[in-house]
Amino acid sequence: MKIAVLLKQVPDSQAVRLDPETGTLRRSETDAVTNPLDLCALAAAVRLIKDVPDSSLTAICMGPSTGEQTLRQALALGAGRAILICDRACAGSDSYVTALILAAAIERSGPFDLVLTGLRASDGETGQVGPEIAAKLGWPVITGAESLTRIRDNLFEVTRSAESEKETLTFRTPALISVAKGIGQADLPRLERKIWARREPVTLLTANDLGFSPDEAGLKASPTRVVRVLHPQLTRRGRMVRITDSAALEQAREAFTDLLGRKEEE
Amino acid sequence: MTKYNPVTPEIARTLAEICGESHVVYRDAERLEPFSHDEIPGTHYRRLPEAVVKPDSAEQVAAIVRLANERRIPVTPRGAGSGLSGGTVPVCGGIVVAMQRFNRILELDKANMTITVEPGVIANDINEYLKPHGLFYAGYPMSVEMCQIGGNVAENAGGGKAVKYGVTARYVLGLEVVLPSGSILNLGGKLLKDVTGYNLIPLLTGSEGTLGIFTKIILKVIPRPRFQYDLLALFPDSDTAVAAVPAMITGTGITPVSIEFMDGDAFRQGCLDLNETLPFLDAGAVLLVSVDGNDPEMLAGQSEALGRYLQKGGASEIYVADTRADSERVWKIRRSIPEAFSQAFPRQSGEDIVVPCASIPAVVTECGRLAAKYHLAIPCYGHAGDGNVHSRICAPADWSDEHWDEVLQALLRELYAEVARLGGRISGEHGIGCKRRPFMASTCAPEFLDTLRAVKNALDPNGIMNPGKIF
Repeated sequence: MKIAVLLKQVPDSQAVRLDPETGTLRRSETDAVTNPLDLCALAAAVRLIKDVPDSSLTAICMGPSTGEQTLRQALALGAGRAILICDRACAGSDSYVTALILAAAIERSGPFDLVLTGLRASDGETGQVGPEIAAKLGWPVITGAESLTRIRDNLFEVTRSAESEKETLTFRTPALISVAKGIGQADLPRLERKIWARREPVTLLTANDLGFSPDEAGLKASPTRVVRVLHPQLTRRGRMVRITDSAALEQAREAFTDLLGRKEEE
Repeated sequence: MTKYNPVTPEIARTLAEICGESHVVYRDAERLEPFSHDEIPGTHYRRLPEAVVKPDSAEQVAAIVRLANERRIPVTPRGAGSGLSGGTVPVCGGIVVAMQRFNRILELDKANMTITVEPGVIANDINEYLKPHGLFYAGYPMSVEMCQIGGNVAENAGGGKAVKYGVTARYVLGLEVVLPSGSILNLGGKLLKDVTGYNLIPLLTGSEGTLGIFTKIILKVIPRPRFQYDLLALFPDSDTAVAAVPAMITGTGITPVSIEFMDGDAFRQGCLDLNETLPFLDAGAVLLVSVDGNDPEMLAGQSEALGRYLQKGGASEIYVADTRADSERVWKIRRSIPEAFSQAFPRQSGEDIVVPCASIPAVVTECGRLAAKYHLAIPCYGHAGDGNVHSRICAPADWSDEHWDEVLQALLRELYAEVARLGGRISGEHGIGCKRRPFMASTCAPEFLDTLRAVKNALDPNGIMNPGKIF
């Protein structure tokens, strides 16, 4: 079984500070970390390959040269090979172009049975890159997996949350799966593995290596733009009604009907 | 025992004139209760004060203390009440002076690398304030998120970073203190060297509120290291774990920030409390070794070197935490242990023994012997880098209070005798307070205690300042 895990380096959300005037991240005050959900994807991949002989696990990261830290972390946690897509030409790529570049990297460094990644990155929060890669590769995609087990051969089972319900799906590889937090956290790396990971070479790929001209990557090739970043304004307000008798039930019913009426008018 | 006078309604009125009526609590048991205890589990070390006052200036504190001194009323200073020795329990009644309104950071002097604070500032808030300036205050008690700096100075708090950064006293450069007479004394300042007369700051630091009340504190701050790497090393037993420490330090030439020790029971309890998935069942003892600095490559090299020595010393497995999230994960285990035991055992005593580092295994062994003899559990954890062991004496749930008190006293007499034999002391960082006071005479030389009393009598001849503590 050959698995690729896609990991992104993001600002440390615990250390991040927002500029109160511009609403943008003060990056200079933060240290980059690996997107936590991508580490969950890595942990799921490590668990999958543990019991399957002749498996391999490749970590792929696209971003600035500091992405090497993320890849060395992935190596320490169980990846056997690391690929960094690092090129100024890729800077500013939106989720669509990022997906095209990553899909090309997957095709070039594969073949893979499974590609795993986090449901979303904690900085962009789009959750689009995984499904877009799957679309480009022509693979099925399942998002937000909370468990992932191999039934036999290339048949796998996933559970995911759908609103308040749990869904269980089976699929055959190749496929791309994005994972949610529920799938479990990564183990702590062991010293021996850490020492090995510090010295292991990381393969560097440029846009050109993946067949992208400077005009086909980066900001100018991206069809979408971030125009403004806004704080979400939560306007929902809940009200708890304890129903102890039929009168209270009637009151609650009326209150709810009123609310629906007001919503309709809005 | 000194005879003290009660807080009469007339005195309560005077206190209200000094601080304002809304800042005095008198004859209101419900509102006095929070000031009757600290964080020692159980109800043994509790006493309601007669009055609580909440001043917000040195002059107000001075007026309160002058009044108390004239009328022979006990005064007990209080910070966050997060102590573990009963230091802030008003054991003789009287007035509790709650310093919670002294919560201002007064000045950051970057040119002199000092910060001037009031005693009621939460220790953690000092570092949050300093972080954007690239600075930090290196005192690090484990209760950092709630304890106040005034209490830290009064107890000379230690904590997890003492191996590299020392304890609170190293950072106290200046103090404004209200003496038991009611006079305001200023000591030190922003000086790194000062031999002008007796150095009274180290005397007051760690005096447990028995010599005066701090109203202003000048602390030394240092450049903040940007990264911390931690090694969590699993060992088959305590002896092997502790024996690995000196070889690791001398062999690598590296002084870690922390070298924390947890015996198998303590580590298991902490892991269980957090639903941690680490293989805690296999560990007979654990060391948590941390290094900090600004160069990740250097820290990776240091971790590797320290790890090699821990392996040579018998570690069966070593985990590396080199991200903030992983570091928080391993430290959470260590920090959760006291609370985890508090939840699991209603009757317990948290000890604070300090011995020469190499004697830690002997303390652990003695705790094991006493646990078997008295049919209870005594897990041990603490600071392997400085010999400070927190043995937690935990009684079975079905014991009566009487049986527990009887056993605890007998057990502590034996434990403290062994500690003294090993060249240790009964408290490394929590203080003596009222909890360990009964054991001072049997564990300290009479000349030492006489000298302490002479100092106390010179500064507080009427014995009004936090009576019933230390000796």
